[in-house]
Amino acid sequence: MTNSMRQPTLQTMGLGTVLDIFQKGQLPVNTAELVDRVFGKAGNRGSLVISGANGIVGAGKAMQLGSRLQPFDIPIIALDFPGVADGIGKQYAGLERAFGRQGASEIMENVIRFHYDGKKLPAQLKDFQPRFLLEAIPEILEIKKAHYEVFRAAFPGIEIRSVTSGFPGSQLGVGIAHPAFPHEINKTWEIVENEPSAITQLLWALGMIPLTVSDNWSFVLDVLFCGLTLTGSRYHQNRNMPFWKIDKYIRKILGPNPFRAHDAIGAKGANFLTWSCLHHLTRHYGDLFKPTPNLEEHKDSGQNWYPLNHFRPLVNWSLDAEEEEDFRTWILGPLCQMTSLMLHEKRAHLSLMNSVGELCAQFRRGILSVIRDMGGAAAVETVTAYHKLHPEAAGDSWHPEVFENMDGADWQQLYVNAEHDGTVGAITLGRESYNSDVDAELNRAIDWLKNAGIERVILSGDFHLTTQLVGADTSDFYPALEDAQAGVEIAGGWSKTARRLYKEFKVSVGFINGKRCLGGMLELMMHCHYLITVEDAALGMPEVTLPVVPGMEGCHWPFRKTGAKNWPKLMQMLLTGKAVKSPEAVGWLIDYAGPLEEALKKAYLAASGGDHGLPLRKVEEGALKGLPKETGSIVPPGDAKLEAARLAIFKNIQASCAAPLTEAITIQAKHSADFMLNPLCQKGSIGAEFYKTMKI
Amino acid sequence: MSKGDSMFPNARIPYGTWGSSYFPAWQMSPLAEVNIGQFAGEAMNKILGKRKIPKNLLEYLVIGSTIPWHWKFWTAPVVASCMGQRLPGYHIEQACATGLQATLLAAGEVQNGAYDVVGTLTFDRTSDSPVGVFPERRAHERTHAISDVWDNFGFDPATGEAMIATAGYAARKNKVDRREVDECTFFRYGQYFDALESGFLDRVLVPLEILNLQGRVMGKVDSDAGIRKITMDALRGMNELDTCITGGTQTHASDGMATLLVTTAEKAREISSRPEIDIRFIAKTEVRTLPSLMPEAPGLAVQKLLDRTGLTMDDMVVVKNHNPFAVNDIIFAKTLNYDWRKMNKTGCSLVWGHPQGPTLTRIIIESLEEAVDLGGGYVMVFGCAAGDVGIAAILQVTERR
Repeated sequence: MTNSMRQPTLQTMGLGTVLDIFQKGQLPVNTAELVDRVFGKAGNRGSLVISGANGIVGAGKAMQLGSRLQPFDIPIIALDFPGVADGIGKQYAGLERAFGRQGASEIMENVIRFHYDGKKLPAQLKDFQPRFLLEAIPEILEIKKAHYEVFRAAFPGIEIRSVTSGFPGSQLGVGIAHPAFPHEINKTWEIVENEPSAITQLLWALGMIPLTVSDNWSFVLDVLFCGLTLTGSRYHQNRNMPFWKIDKYIRKILGPNPFRAHDAIGAKGANFLTWSCLHHLTRHYGDLFKPTPNLEEHKDSGQNWYPLNHFRPLVNWSLDAEEEEDFRTWILGPLCQMTSLMLHEKRAHLSLMNSVGELCAQFRRGILSVIRDMGGAAAVETVTAYHKLHPEAAGDSWHPEVFENMDGADWQQLYVNAEHDGTVGAITLGRESYNSDVDAELNRAIDWLKNAGIERVILSGDFHLTTQLVGADTSDFYPALEDAQAGVEIAGGWSKTARRLYKEFKVSVGFINGKRCLGGMLELMMHCHYLITVEDAALGMPEVTLPVVPGMEGCHWPFRKTGAKNWPKLMQMLLTGKAVKSPEAVGWLIDYAGPLEEALKKAYLAASGGDHGLPLRKVEEGALKGLPKETGSIVPPGDAKLEAARLAIFKNIQASCAAPLTEAITIQAKHSADFMLNPLCQKGSIGAEFYKTMKI
Repeated sequence: MSKGDSMFPNARIPYGTWGSSYFPAWQMSPLAEVNIGQFAGEAMNKILGKRKIPKNLLEYLVIGSTIPWHWKFWTAPVVASCMGQRLPGYHIEQACATGLQATLLAAGEVQNGAYDVVGTLTFDRTSDSPVGVFPERRAHERTHAISDVWDNFGFDPATGEAMIATAGYAARKNKVDRREVDECTFFRYGQYFDALESGFLDRVLVPLEILNLQGRVMGKVDSDAGIRKITMDALRGMNELDTCITGGTQTHASDGMATLLVTTAEKAREISSRPEIDIRFIAKTEVRTLPSLMPEAPGLAVQKLLDRTGLTMDDMVVVKNHNPFAVNDIIFAKTLNYDWRKMNKTGCSLVWGHPQGPTLTRIIIESLEEAVDLGGGYVMVFGCAAGDVGIAAILQVTERR
């Protein structure tokens, strides 16, 4: 019996809990078995048909699924009208970059192209036994339905999923697998189906991120993204600000550039899709979603939202405090209202609804996290203020009651969940980068386990929304670029949280699954008593390259856990920023690296007190002696910028290692914070991003 | 026409829907480096935004400029696109009369019922004037290359005289006293700086930041750059370039834009920040003087207009003109028997410079703001223009109680 703070998102796909995975020492489903279930057993394998395969979605998915299904010999049938532009050919260069020439060729060998006239399927298609149709044809309901009939008549029992962004499955009569842009690399799919299917589980097993959503007109991603585009266009309509500048202000408060995104995707198609989504939403939910005249114009003309190159903007726009508040009302008001509708309709698990914006639409923080931060009362006030600006939106689709109680774990634990079986707990991270939300939620998760009397814990990704752990969310450092105290509070506060894993549990095990664990996430993980990884994970501290100085105890904690002979390796990692493969890090940075199932079993054994055979690397609490006095012999020289960052990190290592553990936390936080004000940091990638995003 | 009749009874200028850039002297600001048509479109959009006027209310655009700019062929539609609104419209030019003429033509579009809301947008960049190359078979050079601003200033093809020479001729003919010209100039500078320091001009002029190709701010247009306070001694010490004409008693070339809206009465009430203020077009006229006597033309135009309307200078609460030469004001005062100290109370183009197209538009805007401050009344706006032309118009500001 597993207890959890809130429902694990894995359960939305019928895949149980994270603790189940550790207890059983294996993933809940096996990819090969799922391939057999969906496409038939080896020797009698059917094929995947992608119709509309030369379109942006079809071609992207042909490449993505083609590369992942290639080891299983699943033919990818790319079906489209004759004479349409070759979308698949355009993808080859990217494929070659990702997989090398030979890998790309092997993937393409498995992609078979057929043409058809929209009515009659090619006769040879039956030779490939189509088992799964991924439909990516134009967004016209009747054409889609007729398309399914043609396939069903020819191949009874074929599984069909539509990539539609707007039509509900109830209208189409098929399930939905709506992928997010850019289609060749984005792993996220919105899934609509009555019960978790083998297809959805196969997508997950292939490394994708399926997000189960309810069956409505336009799914969560499009309500958010098309809705955000609409809010920007409505602001433009009323306040004249050009779209390029609206993008900058939207990026400042939320993250995305909705208009730039339309141009990048291809304005002609994207404008139509956005309009179509809003048009249908208006019919069902009222004027909140009504396309503005400029959206209609862009739909009809297919014109870009940004000016042509020879008319790059000349006159700047900036908003004073009052105008910026007005802007926030125009943008956040309708967005809060749209979110209230989605919450009212229970469109998705809250963590999934929240993550859609981050994973698919460049939101710095998910919409629910933003609203949580605003507070329910403020969200309602913002919508009320918006209704004064746009009274037509007040009539329908406003459900303020959903913001009345945000104290439950579903709202409070959007990114971090906790589970336990009475003895062992699991804390699962549903966000690939560490930020203040994750920090607060992690603290609440620890509290919850402690209150349940759990003394043994595994910290890991959630096997769903995180496929790697990339480090700290550097946008959280923005305040620290202007205020040293803010930097001290971030570094000190996050370090304090990390220390709880070391101090407040009898046993804590960090488990690293996925391709990499870097920076702040690695610093967090190394605070666990044991650190276990899969064998192909890369581990690194790339801070020096940004440049920033690690502030979550990365400059002294790992030194305290290993002997002096290994310090040069830590120095090398910190001062070059180069990652190491996990098997090379055993004994001085981590405690075990192995194949996934072995690593899972080892982690559970370590956490549950079984015979795991891993020596405990104790943390030296006194001052360390004998650290190198200079970096020259350890790392090769770099450019002046890199050298200055190295020097700052080196000084942090020297100072924090020379102090007792109790004092080191403050010393290292101050070093990290001080460097944020260094002109080098300000000119580095975080400083550049800060000025580009916030100083507009 | 009868006293109080309006030439365009259906047309109004909605109070507060206007604005102008500052007019930095030529080569002194980032405006020297921009496509001025694009700048004007974007600046108009921003000014309307500041005034809380959605640009989509506009139905038509009359643009005015006198110096060729890149893609001028596309006239108002391309400028409107730079504003972000696909409007039809056309381009007009009448040298220094452009601003007033464009406004009157916009009023005509409203009066004839074609549109309810028409934008007037005037602009020019005198900096780095373009050079036109004209085949000229009768000239021994066979081809003439003309720097649009300076070569035209220097040569009226109808008379063979330079612009500055018309001021000298008029000064001599009207026996203008150099000391009075200097005194008038000194007084005009005082009027401008008083208006600037009082904050009056903040209601007219909108500071703008100019971006470079990378989208970074390359400079600000937030002052009538190039103007400094002047002393009487300095004025008196200046060498004459022609009779009564010195560097101090003539205007200077500058860059800029200015915009206002013309609408129906109903629309004006709907969109104005002060709907109780009613601004009507009363009358307009133009005259052309004898050759090379351009500074006489404005006074003659005003006299003609008064004769036609039955109004007098005493009926005017605001009198404001485009005065490229201070002698214009002295001659006007002699012609109308009017004290030049009573006019141009918030500044004039003699001081703040002359970007040509938008000059009279800014003068209209300043004069209307001044009239509102004074509780309303008749406003006389006038000026000279290339070709020895004078143009004058009367507007009326009333406040409905």
